[in-house]
Amino acid sequence: MRRAILPDPDVALGVECALPVAQGLFSDRDRRSQWVHRVATVLAAALLAGGLWQFGQGVYIHAKAGLAQALMGRAWARALDGERQVKPWPWADTWPVARLLVPGRKVDLFVLAGADGRAIAFGPGHVFGTPLPGEAGNSVIGGHRDTHLAFLRELEPGVEIVVERPDGARRRYRVETTEVVDKRDVWVLENEGPTRLTLVTCYPFDALRAGGPLRYVVTALALDGSS
Amino acid sequence: MFRMLGPSDARIAAADRIAKAVLWVLTVLAVVATAGVLLLAAGGARASTLVPMKPQDAAGGTLLLKSNANGETFAVPLLATDVEIRVSGMVARAAVRQRFRNPHADWYEGTYVFPLPENAAVDRLRMRIGDRLVEGEIRERQAAKAAYERAKQSGQRATLLEQERPNIFTSSVANIGPGEEIEVELEYQQRLRYEQARYSLRFPMVVGPRYIPGTPDAALLGTGWAPGTDQVPDAARITPPVLRPRADVVLNPVTLRVTLDAGVPLAAVESAYHPVRVRETGPSRREVVLEGEAYATRDFELAWTVTPDRAPRVAFFTERRGERHYGLLMVMPPAGERVSARLPREVIFVIDTSGSMHGASILQAKEALELAVLGLGPRDRFNVIEFNSVASMLFTDARAAAPETTAIAVRWIRALKAQGGTEMAAAVKLALNARESPDRVRQVIFLTDGAVGNEDPLFRLIAERLGDSRLFTVGIGSAPNSHFMTKAAQTGRGTFTYIGRPDEVKQKMGELFAKLESPVLKDVRIEWPGGAQVESWPKRLPDLYLGEPVVVTAALARAEGEIVVSGTLGDVPWRAAVPVTAAAEGSGMGVLWARDKIAALMDSLRENAPEPEIRAAVVDLALTHHLVTKYTSLVAVDRAPARPDGAALKEAALPTNLPDGWTYDAVFGELPRGATDARFNLLLGALLLLAATLAFGMRRRFAS
Repeated sequence: MRRAILPDPDVALGVECALPVAQGLFSDRDRRSQWVHRVATVLAAALLAGGLWQFGQGVYIHAKAGLAQALMGRAWARALDGERQVKPWPWADTWPVARLLVPGRKVDLFVLAGADGRAIAFGPGHVFGTPLPGEAGNSVIGGHRDTHLAFLRELEPGVEIVVERPDGARRRYRVETTEVVDKRDVWVLENEGPTRLTLVTCYPFDALRAGGPLRYVVTALALDGSS
Repeated sequence: MFRMLGPSDARIAAADRIAKAVLWVLTVLAVVATAGVLLLAAGGARASTLVPMKPQDAAGGTLLLKSNANGETFAVPLLATDVEIRVSGMVARAAVRQRFRNPHADWYEGTYVFPLPENAAVDRLRMRIGDRLVEGEIRERQAAKAAYERAKQSGQRATLLEQERPNIFTSSVANIGPGEEIEVELEYQQRLRYEQARYSLRFPMVVGPRYIPGTPDAALLGTGWAPGTDQVPDAARITPPVLRPRADVVLNPVTLRVTLDAGVPLAAVESAYHPVRVRETGPSRREVVLEGEAYATRDFELAWTVTPDRAPRVAFFTERRGERHYGLLMVMPPAGERVSARLPREVIFVIDTSGSMHGASILQAKEALELAVLGLGPRDRFNVIEFNSVASMLFTDARAAAPETTAIAVRWIRALKAQGGTEMAAAVKLALNARESPDRVRQVIFLTDGAVGNEDPLFRLIAERLGDSRLFTVGIGSAPNSHFMTKAAQTGRGTFTYIGRPDEVKQKMGELFAKLESPVLKDVRIEWPGGAQVESWPKRLPDLYLGEPVVVTAALARAEGEIVVSGTLGDVPWRAAVPVTAAAEGSGMGVLWARDKIAALMDSLRENAPEPEIRAAVVDLALTHHLVTKYTSLVAVDRAPARPDGAALKEAALPTNLPDGWTYDAVFGELPRGATDARFNLLLGALLLLAATLAFGMRRRFAS
């Protein structure tokens, strides 16, 4: 409701400019307002730029994670045809080493060689030095809790995981345990014991920032009779 | 725009002002929040480890290192070490030559952090460039550093030798030209360990990565892999970069020669951890050299025994320097009878299960611990404490060592895993409670590699809480922290043992048990001849365990009369007399005396002696005897300028190897990281966009 349309009977009619005119043409208040205006403009522009940049970063991480997996499909097909270490794009420094599926959960991921920060931006990464997924021993795979491996929080004991190897053979695993450990608990990487898949991601799942000390570890034991 | 004037307008104006104020506050809040988040982001990104590049990248004998933090590669000068040790009787004099070679096209400064024996009295430094020698001078630490920095800036070749801990030193060499080699030669004097007719000489070769407790302080960054913390402010100086082990790259080759003159006929000479070639040059003399290629990856230990009936029971060496005679006195007390009716014991075992113990060390420690638990008598009570990031106890209170109890303990010990941090203070607090009770003997046996940076606070804690307990350290692994082992045992009024190989466990633990069960020589006193005006160290002589001699160094005004050593062995008084005139001529006794006095002064700091006074006393002694201490350094500057004005100087911290048997990933390693900052980016982005909207709003308000 605009109140200025009808004169108020109780007061004398008056007109006022929106900018209150005081003694001089430009009062102190004017100058201050102009200054504030200029500062606000610069600030707004800077904030807008920063905001777009940060927002873009966030979107970019997810886009990269999604797109890379899509590109990996072709490389995997060639790997299945017998080619070795097929790079998904010419300048890549990693390649898919396995395919990870959770039947009935829309999880179909290509696992990359190496679990360093650069590789796992594009997909879950196989930790060098541990047996390749699908082979005997403890195969360890690391990945991001907020992109590829976000599904780990929904895995419960008993859920089946399937690994496809580059030779096309598949091995089935069943989730045995899920636990939270410290990042220095490197016994998780030990190779002794039954053939299993160890999936590692950051914990807690809802943390805002990367770099916390905790890890969420899902252990899935190989089922006999895999083909 | 027109508006009515009136009382309601006043309200509008007020509302307007409030709106503006709210906008201001929101904008400021948004900016502050954003700034805070950005700061947080900056603080989160540190930590770098070294990954060497592939051999083909590092052609021509150069070593390029890749920093994980930013992916840049950098080169470092190379280092080789030659060690020559001359042993005469109880004393060793060593010359350590570090050759810094720069195979690169740039000018370099190299900094190398390395260990020496914890009782080394470093008194000489020389820098060799080609065939020229520059003698080092002893200065106060700051002055030496300043002289070195000046030389470094003005392009002169210079070397600085500083002490970080009694057993950790840093050598810095400035302005090593392209393709050039500069040799740093340092010398030290050391008293050897003599126990049960057996001498041992240890030469440490590598500073194992130390655990740094406390809150990191970004202002205390340096060349080390750890920034300083509130508990270890100089952490950056004792954490040299560590090379991730790989088959084709080993750093820092070492040659070592020992010229041994035992003074009396030798029985056996053996090197515990390195293959050696021993040449007999006389009944009491040997020449020992390392066989094959050796690298700075583990401590060297040479031990020798002399013919039993010729084993010295008394030794007194003196050296005259100016007005004073400096002397080293050793008296071996007799072994007491084992007492059958002894007091019941309470034994507390503490085992270090931190990441640095992973691999060979934890196996040795567990084996030793199991042996110890099974060796307890039925009247003994015991408990076991393990510690890494946290400390935990097997039983809530010490229990009698009945078979079923020890069986539980053994199962528990076997299941221990080495991982995580080294919060040793927590374990000390659990093990020592400052209690005293006369009806039992309380012994704490501490198995660790001592890989921590906060030694001093730990010694303080041990002293505070010791009560009538006794602390015995067992140094485990290939590169135990000898300063920690000896000083913790001294503070805990116990003794120390080293185990560096699985097949040593049985013998070394056996020796320790013999010490624990044999009577202790107490109330040891030395009476010097009247009027000799003697200053001897240590002032308060420690209790002595089976096979340990009384050892003191002294400065005497006159060398005459008789020294009387006495004590109580069990309940039996013991006394020995040594005529001063029977002294043999020794060299470097003055340096040993000064080193002992400095150690005693530094110890008094932990008993809250005023730092400025102690510092002045240490500096005075060190300048007189040319010794490197915490407060004094040796510096050598070549007068001739070397580096041309235009050429830049690159700085490099020389990496060390990981000690033998250690597991890199258990110390530095961690599970893969598994999170992105996407969520954070999105939130921060949203916040910034909100702030931008508010700022736009404000802009419009003020535009109208």
